[in-house]
Amino acid sequence: MSSDIQTPVNYYGSEPGREVTSRETKRQPTPRANEARELYFEAKSSVSMEFPYWYTRRWEQLEGEIPIIRRAEALKSGFEHLTPVIFPGELLSMGKASYLRGSYPMPWLSEAFFMAAEDKLYKEAQESGKLTADTFTTMGKGGGNVTKSEGMVISIAGKFGLRVEEMPIMLEVARKWKDKSVDDIGHKYEQLVPGYSEKEALMRSVICMFDSGYTLPQGREVMNYYYPLQYGIDGIIKNCEDALADVAGYPDMDRLYFYKAVILMLQGIKHWIQNYADEAKFLASLEQNGKQKTEYLEMAERLNWISSSPPRSFHDSLQILWLFHVAVLNEDAISGLSPGRVGQVLYPFWQRDMANGTIDRARSLELLECMRVKFTEIDCFASMGVVGGVLSGNTFNNLCLGGLLKDGTAAANELEMLILEAGITCDTPQPTLSMLYDEKLPEEFLLKGVECTKIGTGYPAWVNNQVAMEFLVGNYSHEGMNLEEARAWAIGGCLETSPGSWMPLKIDDVIHWIPGGSAPATSVGVHFLNLPKILEVVLFDGIDMRTGQRIFPSHGYHLESYNELWQAFKDYFSRACHVLTLTNNIQHDAWRKIAPSLVNSMLKPDCLKKGKDIGQMGCRYNTTFNIESCGTANLVNSLSSLKQNVYSEKNYTLEDYRKAILANFGYKTAQETGSYSLIDQLPTADYVLWQKIHRQSLDAPKFGNDISFVDAIMKDWEDWFCEMTHNYRSLYDQPMYACQISVSTHGPMGAVTMAGPDGRLSGTTFSDGSVSAYPGTDKNGPYALFNSATCWNHAQSQNSQLNMKIHPSVVKGREGSRKFLELIRAYLRKGGFHVQFNIVDSRMLKQAQADPEKFRSLLVRVAGFTQYWVELGKQIQDEVISRTEYEEIK
Amino acid sequence: MEQEELTTGYIFDIQGFSVHDGPGCRTLIFFKGCSLECAWCSNPEGISFYPEPLYRNSKCTLDEHCINACKHGAISIAKNETCDHLNFRRDICAKCNTYDCASACCSDALKIGGYKVSVDDLYNRIHRDRQYWGEGGGITLTGGEPFAQPEFAFNFLKHCYEAYIHTAVETCGNVAWSHYKKALPYIDWIFFDLKTLDESRGDLLTYSRSPSARPHDLLSASPPDRLSGYTPISNILENARRIAQEFPGRLIFRLPVIPGFNDDAENINNTASFIRSTGRKEVNLLPLHHLGREKYNLLDKQYYTNNFNIPANGNLENIAQQFKSLGITCYIGSETPF
Repeated sequence: MSSDIQTPVNYYGSEPGREVTSRETKRQPTPRANEARELYFEAKSSVSMEFPYWYTRRWEQLEGEIPIIRRAEALKSGFEHLTPVIFPGELLSMGKASYLRGSYPMPWLSEAFFMAAEDKLYKEAQESGKLTADTFTTMGKGGGNVTKSEGMVISIAGKFGLRVEEMPIMLEVARKWKDKSVDDIGHKYEQLVPGYSEKEALMRSVICMFDSGYTLPQGREVMNYYYPLQYGIDGIIKNCEDALADVAGYPDMDRLYFYKAVILMLQGIKHWIQNYADEAKFLASLEQNGKQKTEYLEMAERLNWISSSPPRSFHDSLQILWLFHVAVLNEDAISGLSPGRVGQVLYPFWQRDMANGTIDRARSLELLECMRVKFTEIDCFASMGVVGGVLSGNTFNNLCLGGLLKDGTAAANELEMLILEAGITCDTPQPTLSMLYDEKLPEEFLLKGVECTKIGTGYPAWVNNQVAMEFLVGNYSHEGMNLEEARAWAIGGCLETSPGSWMPLKIDDVIHWIPGGSAPATSVGVHFLNLPKILEVVLFDGIDMRTGQRIFPSHGYHLESYNELWQAFKDYFSRACHVLTLTNNIQHDAWRKIAPSLVNSMLKPDCLKKGKDIGQMGCRYNTTFNIESCGTANLVNSLSSLKQNVYSEKNYTLEDYRKAILANFGYKTAQETGSYSLIDQLPTADYVLWQKIHRQSLDAPKFGNDISFVDAIMKDWEDWFCEMTHNYRSLYDQPMYACQISVSTHGPMGAVTMAGPDGRLSGTTFSDGSVSAYPGTDKNGPYALFNSATCWNHAQSQNSQLNMKIHPSVVKGREGSRKFLELIRAYLRKGGFHVQFNIVDSRMLKQAQADPEKFRSLLVRVAGFTQYWVELGKQIQDEVISRTEYEEIK
Repeated sequence: MEQEELTTGYIFDIQGFSVHDGPGCRTLIFFKGCSLECAWCSNPEGISFYPEPLYRNSKCTLDEHCINACKHGAISIAKNETCDHLNFRRDICAKCNTYDCASACCSDALKIGGYKVSVDDLYNRIHRDRQYWGEGGGITLTGGEPFAQPEFAFNFLKHCYEAYIHTAVETCGNVAWSHYKKALPYIDWIFFDLKTLDESRGDLLTYSRSPSARPHDLLSASPPDRLSGYTPISNILENARRIAQEFPGRLIFRLPVIPGFNDDAENINNTASFIRSTGRKEVNLLPLHHLGREKYNLLDKQYYTNNFNIPANGNLENIAQQFKSLGITCYIGSETPF
């Protein structure tokens, strides 16, 4: 429906129209990183029961112990028993589990979802409506996903392989956690919230996508590696011992147990590192190749050193950063654990090595490439609905570049230039990159960023430093946030603005102020609300017509004016926020009691100083709970269509619309056609009955075209939504705020939503992000889209998201790079918070869909993250293909 | 009426983020109506001077909504062996100003190409793009031939120029000198087409009009200098010389490379000599493409461009070499340094 050839052709036809244009930049990684990446391509997502087995065993032994000590001992035992696995050629070692793409279930969070379908536990979970999201999610069928059981490997949650002999262990361990996990305990008590049945109805209808407290209770946050970099593990243990002595016996005794727990946990981590050191030494003793033998010995020496002491070199510091990143990932099911502004945190070490001549640029690049492969190996074990539906298998380890230093000057440095270079030479999904754009950043740095975006992997995404700072000062000032501290921010997860703080890293008696995360998880709270579905339920007075079930009581309006319609929508939306905030607060309370964070708490200021873990508001900033939305453009377009066709021009009544929606405008459903994109839908014989209303719905003003009629609706929605979220209070008694990223939820949420007044057909995918236009409806080019997108102040929200697809020919060459930067800069100057690009010919994507094996290494940008094409679900593939492609020739 | 002519005109599209038609990032305005009618035109909807139906047969369900909506009886169903389709009396359509047919269409098969706009409205529209152009960017008038609506083009250029907007035009050269003369003070940058220097080939520039006249060609819409049998080349060359002399801004000649028509060594040689004789020294080769094909169907026009092949890359390189050896700076396609 969007292939109008009305676009005039200017004379640049050097690429014949039917040929696929390939991406411009193509560079190769160093041989070492290339081999590591090849190994990764071969590897399958694999789960091991080692850690959960030892964790559970120790947990059971300590029944009756103080909970946080019990947790620390369990984690310690888990770390100590992880089998070390080192791969040839590695410069950075250690991983989550004993596989290249290893991970493991954490039954203490939720034990039910990975059980086989016939298992009683699973059925119980299904009955309470929790697994509906899984049913409507399609998982990518290629790459490293283990989508079906084969031989001695069992497929879990459509993605992970488990060795068949470990299956009984998994079930046994899972059973131990029945009625004791965060999920079960949380569920037991969330039912005490008045109106709880409404929450279950919301989950069943997929108006809300996920529970928050046990799915991915941590993540979408920025890490802080200051303490291990400054003090080393022994130094932190010593500090904790001193602090413990100071508080023992005094009131507020929880501090005593916290310090003790951190010490125990660190002893486990120390042991874990030493196991790796021993393994490296052992491998060296077997190795015939002299060079490899030396490398193993160096690795053993390095690991031994850092198991107690702070780093001596850049290489040491990178290994420390990596191992603590993994250590946090091993304490909870986490997605979106961002390493933060790595190039600025490690710069003092790198600078010293460069000055000493102990490292050069070539070696630095090789190390950074190896870091990229390591981050890509991270897998997150969660159910298919979470891993496929939200994350598309992605783990969002977002590395940020640029921004400002503590003193307000530009933060870009040479190490960050090398990080960008490594992103070009070694294109892997992780760590994804974000450029914290500020007017003060040097031009060559920004152009290097453009060069990287142009390789087509979609990173760096471009985010607005000033807008983020305004947001942070606006939402965290009651916790002491000021302008200087706001400069320490970074993106946590795919696009969550996260507060940071400046830490004084002292090296050779010089203090370097390094930025790092200073707050707990965000994107916890109300996990994705399906906006178009709520409007659908408004039209049918509280009933989900897909299932026939009542979600809300009647709203009581006759919907005789647009204002009444808008009010009814706001009423239902608020109801959903209310009950979901309360139930999720209870889940998170269960989480902080059963599985308090220790590794993360140890790393984050000011937990060690306060003697409190993250769950006790140990962090400096704690206002991180939010309410997430999905399908913004479809909601706005639907309201626009109703406002025009029903209330203003009176072409139709609401009853006409109800009938048209139930008839899906005379089309087959997306599930019937197997495509989730609007362009591919097929009419039924009844099509003619509905074609007029459908056409007028499609022709109603659409967001993204700089049309004030519909942009005003967008602004009304944003102004109201961003403000109303502050009325809800998190577990930590802080006001919540709006988070507007769709990640991949626009696929499954579209799948459960009937046709919309905007002309969207039943089951088709929503527009992504929050200020992206619905695919094919932005017909006035990128400048008009930018104007629409910035019709509201983005600093009111934790984020906004704009995804664009640009044809490679438009940004080709040196001039293309400069003009591309002009485009990005123009949007950000206008007040846009975020924009990211797929520089790709959509015909290439269609080829890749048809013939995935040939495109194993093709990376695309989805919504805040970069992922291998073959590991995306079909809903999302269709959506990416149908996004309007900006090019000058058609 | 006269006042209206000064301040309103017809355009058929506005394209933001254009990066190949002038320095920086630009917004392109496509003017309707052309004083030539080249056989390989890639924007055939820019040739006629008035809005016209763009009809996509493949989407049409023949539900007759448009036929019933048209007050002028201009639409009928044409029975055909392969498939039935709609027939438009495009001479009548050219005089329409309500376009009820397109509003009535439910199947997305019928749109109107082109619309009327005032200088003020157009300025307000492109003004909103201003902060996106960045340094060096601005607007480019193209089409069609912008100076086929000379007063409208002049007033719009003047308005923009006085508002410190960088102005560029892309022109075919077949325009009365007085129109250029008046507008030159308000232009920063000119792309000037030199399609051929060979008088004997001039009929290809008015090609699609000549062989079999169709109804819409008989419209009085054509300006006086588009008379049949008229060869515009001497006029084009004279304009080129005078612009080169009197225009202080950057003038870049453009050569659409049409194999078999103007890519022979002799024409390239003559073109290079001509450019040198004007005192200018830049040329931009624009390789022919076939991307406009679908639009000919929409306009129910015969597609002649197939008669010409897309130039091979090697061929373009050779032409560029030839220009360079003759002292002319030559850019191929979008590979320009601006």
